[in-house]
Amino acid sequence: MSTPVKLSTADQLKQLQQARGVVLKDPAYWSSVVAGILPIVGPQNDVELRRWGADFIAEAVATPAVPLRAREDVCMKALGTLRMLVEEQGLDTVVLKSVILAAASVYPLVVRWIAGNAHDRDSWESIQAIKTRILRIWEGAPPPLRICCIKFGQRVVLAQTASNGMDVKQSGLDVSLSIIPPNHPLLDPRQLEAEATGLLDRMLGILQDNSSDALLVDATLNTLSVLVRTRPTTSARILNTILNFNPLKLANSPMTPKTKVLVKSMEKTTRMLLIHLSKRDPHNPMTPRIQQYVERLMRSRSEIFDEANRKRAMPGPPDGTQAAVKRQKTGEPQVVARIIVPPLGPGTHSLAALFTLTDNLGLQGFDATAVPAALAARVSVTALASVPSELLGQAIAGIQNRMVELAAAAPIQPPPLNAETSPLDVEDDDDEYEPDFYAAEDTEQILNKLDNAPAEQPPVQEPETVNALATLGTFKLPPPPLLDPDVAARLSQGAVTRVFAPLPTLEDSSRKHKSGINRLAASSFDRDSWLTVIIRIATRGTAGLEDDASTIKEEDSSALTHKENPSLSNSIREALFRHVMEDFRRRIDVAVAWLCEEWYADQLAKRNLSEDNRSLHYERWAVKLLDGFLPYLTPQDKVLTRFLAEIPELSRELLGKVKDLCRDPATVSLAVTSLLYLVMMRPPARELALDTVGEIWVEYEDARPMASKYLAKWRPGFIESQAPGADGAVPVPKPIAA
Amino acid sequence: MDGTNATEAPVEAPPQVVNGEQKDDAGFKLKFCTVCASNQNRSMEAHLRLSQANYPVISFGTGSLVRLPGPTITQPNVYQFNKTSYDSMYKELEAKDPRLYRANGLLNMLGRNRNVKWGPERWQDWQVGMPRTTHATDRGSEGTEGGFVDVVITCEERCWDAVVDDLLNRGSPLNRPVHVINVDIRDNHEEAAIGGSGILDLANSLNAAAREEREKVGAAAWDAGGAASRSSFDERVPEIIGEWQERWPHLPATWTLAWF
Repeated sequence: MSTPVKLSTADQLKQLQQARGVVLKDPAYWSSVVAGILPIVGPQNDVELRRWGADFIAEAVATPAVPLRAREDVCMKALGTLRMLVEEQGLDTVVLKSVILAAASVYPLVVRWIAGNAHDRDSWESIQAIKTRILRIWEGAPPPLRICCIKFGQRVVLAQTASNGMDVKQSGLDVSLSIIPPNHPLLDPRQLEAEATGLLDRMLGILQDNSSDALLVDATLNTLSVLVRTRPTTSARILNTILNFNPLKLANSPMTPKTKVLVKSMEKTTRMLLIHLSKRDPHNPMTPRIQQYVERLMRSRSEIFDEANRKRAMPGPPDGTQAAVKRQKTGEPQVVARIIVPPLGPGTHSLAALFTLTDNLGLQGFDATAVPAALAARVSVTALASVPSELLGQAIAGIQNRMVELAAAAPIQPPPLNAETSPLDVEDDDDEYEPDFYAAEDTEQILNKLDNAPAEQPPVQEPETVNALATLGTFKLPPPPLLDPDVAARLSQGAVTRVFAPLPTLEDSSRKHKSGINRLAASSFDRDSWLTVIIRIATRGTAGLEDDASTIKEEDSSALTHKENPSLSNSIREALFRHVMEDFRRRIDVAVAWLCEEWYADQLAKRNLSEDNRSLHYERWAVKLLDGFLPYLTPQDKVLTRFLAEIPELSRELLGKVKDLCRDPATVSLAVTSLLYLVMMRPPARELALDTVGEIWVEYEDARPMASKYLAKWRPGFIESQAPGADGAVPVPKPIAA
Repeated sequence: MDGTNATEAPVEAPPQVVNGEQKDDAGFKLKFCTVCASNQNRSMEAHLRLSQANYPVISFGTGSLVRLPGPTITQPNVYQFNKTSYDSMYKELEAKDPRLYRANGLLNMLGRNRNVKWGPERWQDWQVGMPRTTHATDRGSEGTEGGFVDVVITCEERCWDAVVDDLLNRGSPLNRPVHVINVDIRDNHEEAAIGGSGILDLANSLNAAAREEREKVGAAAWDAGGAASRSSFDERVPEIIGEWQERWPHLPATWTLAWF
C-alpha cells in the first residue's frame, strides 16, 4: 500500500486508520499492511505520521490476534526499519518509545528464528545492533524512555535464561535458553546467559539504589513477576533485592501531595508483587521471609499515613502537649507541660465538644468515626501508654470541671428523641460488593411517617419544640430504668444463653490432639475449645467471689433449698448441665471435663480459703449429673461406666445413687459391672466400690446372684459374715478394712 | 451513537452534541478503561462520562459474577459476565418487581448502561490486544478498536489489586506500559455520580499532559536534558494525581505503572 505524498497529514492519518481498521477486522492482512506502512516511519515524513507508524509497528509485532508464525514474519520484515530508527540521531521521543517497545516484542521472536535458522547472520546482526543501541540509550535517557529500556531488558533476560517449563505460551514469553540447539554457530548459551545476568543486575540496580523514582521502580517491579515464576536462576536474586528494597524511604521527606502518591505507589506495588509471588508459590522457602516483609511494610505504611493524615488521636493543644509527649518519649518523663482545659462557654455544646481539649480548629473538625475501630483502639492504647499520668489527670480533672459547670448551668431538657427518626444516620461501613441502593428517607417521607405514627409519640412540649428545632440542643439519652435483682438475673441469664449460642455452629475439632499435658486448653476456635472456655468461666471465673451469696443461702437454707444461688457461675453451670443432659450419651466427655475442672477449683478453694468461707461445687454437680441421667439409662449404656471411671473423685453418695439402679432388675447388671470396673481399674476407689456392692447384696434380693459372684472373688468372707443378719435387712454398710 | 470505525480524527463530521455530550476537539486522546466490581454502577458511570467527553473508553468488572441487589440482602440478582446483556437484566428485573427496582435505582442504572454498551465484561476474561471490532456500537469504542488502553482507572482498592495481580499473572506479553489508577468510590448512585466527575477531571488532567508531551516534537526532551526533560507525560502522572487528590480529597487514589 502506498500513500500519496500530496495529501495532508490529517488525511494520511485517516487513510492509515482505515488500513488499521482492515487488519483489525481480518488479521490475515497484518503482514502485507505492515510492509506498506514501514516507509511511513522514514525520516522524511511528518512526525505525526512517524509516531503513528512506530506505534502501529509496535502493535503489529505484539498483537495476539496473529498466530506466532505469522508474527515472526512481520518481525523479520520490521527488523531493518527498527534498526534504522533506533540508530537515528535525534529521533522524536514518542517514536523512540514505540521503537524500543517494538524491539522488546521482536527480540524473543528473532532469537527463536535464529535458533532454527542459523544461516540468517544478517538478522542476528540487526537485532544485536538494536540491542546494543537500546542498552546505550538506557543510561542517560529520561524515565519514560528508561522504563521502555527496562522492559526491553526484561524480555532479553527472559529469552536468555533457562526456563522451568512453566511459561505462558504466548507472545514469545516461552522463548528461553532451552530452545537453542547445541553447537549453534551464532547463539552461545553461556554467553547469552552471562549477558542476561548482567542485564538483570542492571534492571535491579534501580531497586538496589533504593531509588525514589516511582515510575522506574513500579515499571521494574511490574516486570519481575514472570521472571521469578518461570526463570529459576533469577528468582533468588530478584527476591533478595526486593526484600532489601525500602519503598518507604521517601516518606522521610516532607509529604507533598506528589510524594504521598509516590510513596503509596511504590509501597503498594512492592506489596502486590510479593503477595502475588507468595500466592503463586506458597512452598517456596522464601515465602516466610516474604510474609514477614509484607507485614512489616504494612505496619510502617499505616504508621506513616495514619500519622500524616490523622495527626494525633491524643487530645491536646497543638504546641505544648505534643512537645511534652515527644519529650516524654525520648526519656525525660519529669518535664510535663501543664494542660489547660478551657472552660466551655455558655450555650449548648455537643458531646464531642465536651471532650475536646484541643483548640486547633482543624483537629476539632476531625471526624474520629472515620478511623476504623481497630486502628482507633491501637492508637488509643499507644497514646494512653505514652501520655504522662499527670497530664492525663489534668485532662480528666478539666473535663470533670466542665461537666460540673454544665450540670450547674441547669441544662434545658431537650425534647426526647423521636424513635421514628433516630435511625436516620445511615450506617457507614459497607465494604460490601453489594451496592446500597436504598436512599435514606427524605424529609417528606419522614413527615409522612410521623403523621401516620400511632399515639405512642412521646409527649412533646409544644412551646419549646419550635426553639428546639431551630437550635438543635444537646441530646441526652434518657437514664436507663433501674435494675432490680430479678431483672438483672434475667439479663444475665440472657448473657449466659448467648455464651452457649455458638456451640451448635462450631465445628468439632477435626483431629484429636494427643499433645499430652503441655497442650493449651483452648487454642483453636472449635467446639471443644469453646466448651473449655465456658467451663472455665463457670469454675474459675468468679471462684472465691461468691461467698456472700452462699452464706446467705446457708443461713436460711430451709427456705431457699430449691432456689439456686443466682451467680453468673451458677447460671453457666445450670446451662452446662442442660447442655449435657440434652444429649448425655454424646456429651459425657463434656461432663467429665467440667467435673474435672470443678474438682480442681474445689481443691484450690480448699487450699486457699478457710472452711466457712468457701463454697464447693464438685460433689453437688456430680450428684446432680448422675441423678440427671440415671433414670434414662438402658442396660446397654456404657455411659455410666465411663462416667464413674473418669470423674476425678467418687463418694459414697455418688455410688449410693448407682446402687439405686438395682431397684430395676434390668439395670442391675449395669450397676454391678460399672462398680466392678471401678474395683478393677480404680484401686483408690476399690474399697468404696466394694462397699457399695456389699450394700447391693444386702439391700436388693434380685441383685444377689450377681453381687455375690463378685464379692466372692474380691471380698471373700463377706457373704458368710453377712448371712446371719441378712434377712434383718440391715442397710448399714460395714466398712471392712478401711 | 454512530458506529463508524474511523478513529481519533473525525474532523469533517463532528458527532452530534446531545445531552451531557461535549464537542470533540479531534486532538490526541488517551485511551481509558474503567473497572469496578460488577461493571454496573461506578465503572459504567465513569464509562459514560468519559465517552461523553469523547475519550476512547472501555470498562470491566473484576468480580466473579455480576451481583445486583435483590429483594433482600440474601437474595441478590446474579448474572454471568459477558453473557447477559444490560437490556435483558433490565427486562427481567422490570418483570420481577418494577416498583422495587425502580425505587432502588436499579432500572435507572441498567437503562443507562444498556445505552452505553451491550453487557458487563469481566476484566480477567479480557484478552488485551485482541481487536474489539465487534464492539463498534459501544459508547467510547472509537479509538479502542486495538484492544488496549493507556490508563486503567479502578473504582475500588480491591479491584485495583485484582487488576495489578492479573497483569502480573499475564506476564506482560505485549510490552505496553499502562497506568493503573485506583479512585476509591463508595458503591451507591450518588457517590458513583461524584466519582464519575472526579474520574473525568482526572482524565482531562492526564490528557492535557499527554498532549503537551506530544506537542514537543523531537529528541529535545532527553538530548537537551535539564528541566524540559522532567515534563514528560509518564513522569507527570504522579504529580497530576497528587494535584487531583487535593481537589478530590474524598476519592483516595493509588497509582502504579504496569505492563500489558
